[in-house]
Amino acid sequence: MKIKDAQAPVARFRGRFKAYARFMTAAFLVNVKATLEYRVNFILQFFGMMLNNAAFAAFWKVLLDRVGKVGGYGFSDVMLLWALVSSSFGLAHIVFGNVRQLGRIIMEGSLDVYLLQPKDVWLNVLASKTIVSAWGDFAYGYIVLAMMTGTELERFALFTALIIPGALIFAATFAAVESLAFLIGNSSALSSALTEFMLSFSLYPEGVYGTGLRWMLYTIVPSGFVAFLPLRVFRSLDWGLVLLLYLVAALYVGLSYGLFNLGLRRYESGNRMDARL
Amino acid sequence: MSRLQKTLRKYALAASTAMSERIAYPGNFVGSMFTYALFVFIFSRVWAGAYAGATEIAGYTMSMAVWYFIIAEIPSFGFGRFFSTLSRDMKSGQIAYLLARPYDFIGYSMAEKLGGSLMEAGIILAEGLVVGLVLVGLPPAIASGYPAGSSSLALEAARSGFLVVSLLLAGALNFFLQIALAMTAFWLEENEAFFWIFQKFALVVGTLIPIEFLPEKVARIAVWTPFPYLSYAPARIMVAFSPAEALSLVARQALWVFMALLLARAVFASGSRRLSVNGG
Repeated sequence: MKIKDAQAPVARFRGRFKAYARFMTAAFLVNVKATLEYRVNFILQFFGMMLNNAAFAAFWKVLLDRVGKVGGYGFSDVMLLWALVSSSFGLAHIVFGNVRQLGRIIMEGSLDVYLLQPKDVWLNVLASKTIVSAWGDFAYGYIVLAMMTGTELERFALFTALIIPGALIFAATFAAVESLAFLIGNSSALSSALTEFMLSFSLYPEGVYGTGLRWMLYTIVPSGFVAFLPLRVFRSLDWGLVLLLYLVAALYVGLSYGLFNLGLRRYESGNRMDARL
Repeated sequence: MSRLQKTLRKYALAASTAMSERIAYPGNFVGSMFTYALFVFIFSRVWAGAYAGATEIAGYTMSMAVWYFIIAEIPSFGFGRFFSTLSRDMKSGQIAYLLARPYDFIGYSMAEKLGGSLMEAGIILAEGLVVGLVLVGLPPAIASGYPAGSSSLALEAARSGFLVVSLLLAGALNFFLQIALAMTAFWLEENEAFFWIFQKFALVVGTLIPIEFLPEKVARIAVWTPFPYLSYAPARIMVAFSPAEALSLVARQALWVFMALLLARAVFASGSRRLSVNGG
């Protein structure tokens, strides 16, 4: 009887984990289906994003052919940086497509539909949408990876292992700033600023930023954890540090989740008639 | 009042109304101003990194490269987003109302879109001058080869004048090329891809980096396309001004504006015949 009692929380956790894994898979598949419903749009957005990224690749090629290195990064470093950031950012928006709509949903009082469902509100609202163009970003990283390092399986595995915490950190950071809508009402300006900061700082060599900025890149604008540290890990094939990145991602997710739930107590419904289709 | 005066007055009124609408919501400028300042800051750091072991690259010093970027980004921020509203008007059927009115569609659209964006471009220019002064100090001195006897004040005035004219021509060129692309909606529902390709070429050929940085063969081809005249021309005038080169750049810009106008008119003439309006 006692052994049974001790095992109960573990079994319950395992059960809930499985249920959420099923839920996330189902949400993902529904989103994919919805995306493929508009095939032309999907293909256009997919290639549009890749084209956008390729334009910057051309810029770096031209510049680095002239100067060799910028901030300690050569062409392959910059390309791998873009690959990591692009795939992480893409993955975050494929799986948690509502992440940058969260503030608007809160502000309009449209959380009711998620509050009434028997799943965690935060996860449910974030995973209930996918962003079509994000597939282009996601794929771009792998294409660059194949072009820069070949098709070595270990590199692909390490790359995938690195973009998952990157995506979680992206999503958690964006969700945290969007959750400020509970406290300040309209958080869109702050959210846009953080998105610009995070993407812009992540896509350029770490060495170009002075030491005064570095602390920011490993705290409130965590470009260091989605771009610079993963690049170092990828370069050195150091699997040990991957675990550290997962712990950092767990910390960011925990803080973001906590902030959302803290704010949720102040939530006021907009009495809207919404339905999830 | 002559007919020409009446026509000009009509379009001037459309431009000033569009400008007043923009001014009514000054908060809308904040996002662009913030992004622009962030880009300029990051690129100033990138250039500092690039110039760590060199004083000059492709004829540009670090100060020139930063000031180049400051000016080259102005057309992107000020005049780079006509396509989406124009394309939306075509697809939504709004064009049916515009065509029935007593004005030339392209002329009116130009007055409205370009007029509305002048304020934003002006604000970004003022911001760029302040950010540039803070980051790298005064703009580069005027290049050698002045006409004999000309005073530095007169040359500075000439540089400013050419810069403003070149920015306006960049705005007009941007408009005509974007409206020509937007009018492909007469044939195709999904026409964004054309704009993306246009935008990315414009970014690489002369916006992010001066065309002197491009490989020689590419640069030689690039000068025969309209892309350098969207942002390279005003930026070059700012960082390496000489009256002869400025005149040549502005003349080539004007030529491209004229050709882009012809292109827009041709696309409109052909496409508007395909327009079918339904509903009441």
